[in-house]
Amino acid sequence: MKSNKLIVAAAGAGKTTFLVNEALKLKDERVLITTYTQANEAEIRKKLIEVNQCIPPNVTVQTWFSFLLQHGVRPFQGGLFEKEITGLILVNSQSGLKAYRNQCEDCKQKRIVKVCSKCKDPIYFGEEKEFERHYFSKEHKIYSDKISKFVFRCNTVSQGSVIERLSNIYSHIFIDEVQDLAGYDLELLKLLFKANTNTLLVGDPRQGTYSTNSSAKNKKFKKAAIVNFFEDDSMNIEMDTTSLVTNYRCNNSICDLSNKLFPDLPTTTSGNNETTNHDGVFLVRGNDVNEYLNLHSPTQLRENIKTEVNQNYRVMNFGESKGLSFDRVLIYPTKPFLNWLANDNSELATTSRSKLYVALTRARFSVGIICDYADELEIEGMNKWK
Amino acid sequence: MNITKVTIENYKCFNGKFTLTPNKGLNIIVGDNEGGKSTILEAIHLALTGLLNGRYLKNELTQYLFNIETVNSYVKNISEKKPATLPHVLIELCIEGEDIALFEGDGNIDKKKDCGVSFRICFDEKYQAEYEELLKAGNIKTVPIEYYDIVWTSFARQGITAKSIPLKSALIDSTSSRYQNGSDIYISRIIRENLEHKEIVDITQAYRKMQEVFMDEKAIIAINDKIKTAAKISDKDVKLSVDLSSKNAWETSLMTYLDDIPFHNIGKGEQCIVKTKLALGHKKSQEANIILIEEPENHLSHTKLNELIQSIKENLGVKQIFISTHSSFVANKLGLDSLILLNDSKTVTLKDLKTETKNFFSHLSGYDTLRLILCKKAILVEGDSDELIIQKAYMNTNGNKLPIEKGIDVISVGTAFLRFLEVAEKLNKPVAVVTDNDGDVTALETKYENFIGSKIKPNISICYDPTVDSGALVIGKKNKPFNYNTLEPKILKENSRAILNTILGTAYTTDDDLHKYMKANKTECALKIFETVEAIKFPQYILSAIK
Repeated sequence: MKSNKLIVAAAGAGKTTFLVNEALKLKDERVLITTYTQANEAEIRKKLIEVNQCIPPNVTVQTWFSFLLQHGVRPFQGGLFEKEITGLILVNSQSGLKAYRNQCEDCKQKRIVKVCSKCKDPIYFGEEKEFERHYFSKEHKIYSDKISKFVFRCNTVSQGSVIERLSNIYSHIFIDEVQDLAGYDLELLKLLFKANTNTLLVGDPRQGTYSTNSSAKNKKFKKAAIVNFFEDDSMNIEMDTTSLVTNYRCNNSICDLSNKLFPDLPTTTSGNNETTNHDGVFLVRGNDVNEYLNLHSPTQLRENIKTEVNQNYRVMNFGESKGLSFDRVLIYPTKPFLNWLANDNSELATTSRSKLYVALTRARFSVGIICDYADELEIEGMNKWK
Repeated sequence: MNITKVTIENYKCFNGKFTLTPNKGLNIIVGDNEGGKSTILEAIHLALTGLLNGRYLKNELTQYLFNIETVNSYVKNISEKKPATLPHVLIELCIEGEDIALFEGDGNIDKKKDCGVSFRICFDEKYQAEYEELLKAGNIKTVPIEYYDIVWTSFARQGITAKSIPLKSALIDSTSSRYQNGSDIYISRIIRENLEHKEIVDITQAYRKMQEVFMDEKAIIAINDKIKTAAKISDKDVKLSVDLSSKNAWETSLMTYLDDIPFHNIGKGEQCIVKTKLALGHKKSQEANIILIEEPENHLSHTKLNELIQSIKENLGVKQIFISTHSSFVANKLGLDSLILLNDSKTVTLKDLKTETKNFFSHLSGYDTLRLILCKKAILVEGDSDELIIQKAYMNTNGNKLPIEKGIDVISVGTAFLRFLEVAEKLNKPVAVVTDNDGDVTALETKYENFIGSKIKPNISICYDPTVDSGALVIGKKNKPFNYNTLEPKILKENSRAILNTILGTAYTTDDDLHKYMKANKTECALKIFETVEAIKFPQYILSAIK
């Protein structure tokens, strides 16, 4: 009995735990569990070991890119590209840059073409005429933003062999954090939904902090909007938004604050009633950070590597922390974060909103937010530390 | 699960591409010496295990793995400054069976969708700079093997190891490769592959326990205490223990015994039988089994060989077996339809041989079928005396050279002419049949009707005397008429009584007496004729057979 299922649930509702338990129920069938980030892949492995002591031989855990490279690209690349594909190259912007119509003086003088913020009007290698340069770096590494398109093409030229082979190997394909998939990834999902394998997807539109690529394909379904993609009836997927609504990770005050970020989506209730000596959301002054770190040892969460932190304590970027749990976190907020925290009507872009949501919902007991607040400031649901 | 196609490129004796499409069950590979029979078995084993002569090839690459002609043409091109691509070795096995989708892809030599594994020894691109320097220095005399590596992948272009390949192979040959302790690598492999995961864990555990027991032994504790106090080498503990350092400690330390005798100390023949039987008894359900047997006749007596063949026949099951052999007995017994003839890097099979013919040779396995299969041309005769006479006739017209020196084999086939002809027809082998007309040309022509007249085959000629001779002689108590239409009377007819008397050292005064003598002493007469230095003439039908 072939089935496709999507479970939408908020942070801390146990999406990954659910996937892991479903996978462990399947004793004789091969299961693939895949997800975009390496951190989450490691988390899935960790959970499997927590529950089962080891990863059973019928379960494979792999990141989305590594899965695409192994099972999507290589088996039937022959119809498109015969040379050896040496690996994957991660790109943050559109790959395959050919030239700029208006180069900056510096680059012009050096006679080089490279990604440059001052050069204007880029031209890219086209798929049809410059196939090799469109998809691959000079070392024949496939660009991460085009890998799923390549897989889609491979499947087409091999008359569906890629998907057929895949469904012969795995009778179940589980995808965690499905909101990270974008562009041609979604076309591959469509093919999988039709194929002879069972799919189980879990995700949270609130946590659309990343995308596997920034392709123009399926742009309207990116991140938080991914739910709309699955709502199309022809997709033949059963959507479940009500099974997992309790946040077992965060305590009540953290839940309440995070709920405010997405007022249009169903609110979650806290399932964590454990108390410690330091519970809730706290504003921490910049001068007190070291003392706070020393006392509570929270994990520091930041926008990116440029944010200055105390290197003696564990630190992670917001996006990277997705899927993980910590007892306590200390957030280095961006300006828009602070504005929103002071007034939840203020403007906060979708991706930033997701990042703040992810950051808040990592903590079980306490969230510290660094903020040089005025003495008279009072925000509902937030305490001042000291 | 079984191999459906073997492709070998530039490996040892195979210059360029060689392909073999084996049978699902039995494959008997025959061919001349140096024809590549053993190389095929070796290549299959290498592609499935990474082992060559019981050792991992990875760290022991040599130029001798490459076909010499391929290497020579590369070196020649280099020296003549012509474009020269670095030679590579390729062994590719296509497999079929259930649950092998992981091995599916188009990463194979034909770029077609299939399941299988590809084993390549090829230039490692990361040494491009070094190779360029080498080219500039201009002193390349052979393959720059130091820049080569093994690339072992599935058709899905995924790196694989012996463990990840669901087909397991057991190579049974006369060479014995041993671990340091003397235990035989092959037999260890065969035994290990017979074990389920749980059993392997159990052995490892038991082996560890043995170490603990050993360490707890009073004598050992005392000795270790003594060493500890005596040894002032470092501040660390010095003690004796059992070696557990290597991954499969139990495997290299445990020895296989046969009736209390270490395996490698028993006879080679018995070793061969035991290995084969163990491999045949492989019962592990998920893993299929390929058994490669090299010339089983080498160390076995006829009876033992028979025993071995019998057990192969009975336990074949779903296993795929490749046997290389020079023995007609092995080939006949196992079924000529499984025969793969290797000739000049091409293969010919006897797949649609009639069941009766196959059964005939299987039951009467003494026939020299392989001689027919392996020779350039065959002359089929009825018995020993015919064989000698034909050879003599050949030597007379070919400067005293034996036919076999020219690859022409004269084979006594008794009454099995038609069976042999069926095989020859399938192989398109040039064959001449020399037969007596026995006084009834019509009967003879009916017997060979598929090979004469309008049905004549270009590679098969039936040679007999169209003339029926007769006479008054009667022989025996019942006064049976003498048969004037066999070899001896025909020779007498062609020569004179005087000449034959000289050759045979007889002094008969009538032809009738000579006829009787020759009939009664067929082989002796034939030997005398064979050894004579006198000029002797042969009937036309014999001369046409040796043309």
